[in-house]
Amino acid sequence: MLLLLFCLFPFVQILSTSLKHQADWGNPSLIPAQLNFEAYKELLGFSQQEVELPETIRMMLESPAISEEQRAAIIKKFTSTSDIFPFGRYMLNTFVISMVTAFLSTLIATFAAYALSRLKFRGRNAFSNTVMFVYMVGGVLLMVPLYQMAVSTGLASTVPGTLICLLLIYLVQTLPVAIYMLGNYFRTIPFSLEEAAMIDGYSRTSAIFAVIIPLSRPMLLTVMFYCFVIAWNEYLFASVFLKQYQDFHTLPLALQTLFSSKNAIWDRIMAASMLTLIPVVIAFSVANRFISSGGTAGGVKE
Amino acid sequence: MSDNIAAQEARLGHRLIAPAALIIALLILYPIFFNLYLSFFDVELNGDKSLVGLNNYKTLLSDGGFYSALWTTVIYLAGTVTGTTVLGLAVALLLNQNFPFKNTVRALVLLPYFAPVISVVFGWQFIFDPVNGIYNHVMVEVLGLVSERQNVIGDPDSALWVVIVFDIWKHFPIAFLLILAKLQSIPSDQYEACAIDGYNAWGRFIHVTLPECRFVIGTVVLLRMIWNLNRFEDVYLLAPNVETLPIYIYFQAFTGVIDQGLAAAISVVQLIVLSGLIWFYVKKVLNW
Repeated sequence: MLLLLFCLFPFVQILSTSLKHQADWGNPSLIPAQLNFEAYKELLGFSQQEVELPETIRMMLESPAISEEQRAAIIKKFTSTSDIFPFGRYMLNTFVISMVTAFLSTLIATFAAYALSRLKFRGRNAFSNTVMFVYMVGGVLLMVPLYQMAVSTGLASTVPGTLICLLLIYLVQTLPVAIYMLGNYFRTIPFSLEEAAMIDGYSRTSAIFAVIIPLSRPMLLTVMFYCFVIAWNEYLFASVFLKQYQDFHTLPLALQTLFSSKNAIWDRIMAASMLTLIPVVIAFSVANRFISSGGTAGGVKE
Repeated sequence: MSDNIAAQEARLGHRLIAPAALIIALLILYPIFFNLYLSFFDVELNGDKSLVGLNNYKTLLSDGGFYSALWTTVIYLAGTVTGTTVLGLAVALLLNQNFPFKNTVRALVLLPYFAPVISVVFGWQFIFDPVNGIYNHVMVEVLGLVSERQNVIGDPDSALWVVIVFDIWKHFPIAFLLILAKLQSIPSDQYEACAIDGYNAWGRFIHVTLPECRFVIGTVVLLRMIWNLNRFEDVYLLAPNVETLPIYIYFQAFTGVIDQGLAAAISVVQLIVLSGLIWFYVKKVLNW
């Protein structure tokens, strides 16, 4: 019980604060005095409240001294929605890049893992040792050279270039764990199944698609989940590469910016945290039966 | 004929690993050497650089910030590695027993590990918030241990402990998973034999569980050291004032007075330490 309390308390705290009114924050009770969904509505864009023009501004606008143009500009300034946090957009950005990463990484890793677990070729040991090594070298050590490479190739100065860089970096961060997990799994599939397929006239390559991939579907899903979560949670490289392109911020970056830019908005931050958490929890509960069965115990990487 | 098949197999193998090998070579192996190269230059954000020889390394050795980052990293590693391993082992022993909702409990225990850092850090920051946080409420008003509310995360010294506890919370599940997998493979007749020899539960733990788990515990300790040496996000997002080496590198490279060459030099030093640990891991643990 104590253990669960330790594990889950921060989550409960996030949920509770996200539902509290500002006046209620200092109250240590986890049950909000009054439920408040404003923060969620605001983040998801449901509350389109009309922006009231202040009285003085309205009087100013009525004065004949200002031109039509100035008047429009003033109205625009006061009704601007630029300070609304475009949560949906950030979520979509993050979702797209994480999905693409998860899919490509799993695909590339399937090929590599198959080669490592089944085929004999020169350089196999070297490759598998390199994967092992790469698996443990953190991205933080390579942020300077990677950034300099992106600058010198000119990729960092355009939006598509930046996104490609980021995608490649996410790929390389997820590939080793994917190769490792899939390789271990492929070794448990009896080779005789493939042989049978090849006797039936499949080529070696098409036997991969006909036998290995269907048999590994649960594992492939688990690996995709891992890669998705790694990309979804990534902050460091997103912050280095995307800082200047606000429209393309991912959730971790956007939340950090939100947190450091405004004060006294705990409910919004917590609601945003909750919404960032939910896709992972959903993915987790889907993949969980494979994970907690210990089948992936060797495949640890964060 | 068989030569032919072997050659075909090798060709297919090469084709299949090509995409992965290419990406790894381009984005990991090349940058490692490029990083070494950059560490001998004074590098600007826009890519301009001028050769300064070993100056970056000299600056590093005379830089108090570097030593304090090193020391912080050592405390951080010692605290988190011990904490995650001990807690992971304890929880694995606990959850290896049979009780209702076992699978649900196991899944819930894993949740901190998978949850996005960015969302959980805010929960933790709120807990330790000087005005609203429950930590201060309990310490000051309920238990009366501390006389006034403190900004625990604002002060680097106490923030280090928060960061360590946070890391243990977030990462003990993986230690738990690895150790649990091992526990489940220990044949129960060993325990029975031990029980027949007259040992109580503690004796069985000492004489069966620990020796059986020695290797997996070694793995956990080394892997946690390796990965925590690289850990950036958990620390930076929760308390950027706790300067472990990765955060020190980040500050040098991208904020304030930007000195990417120096950052590269620190990375080189850290990479050497890391390679040492990895070498040890591969040689010792994987061969056990």
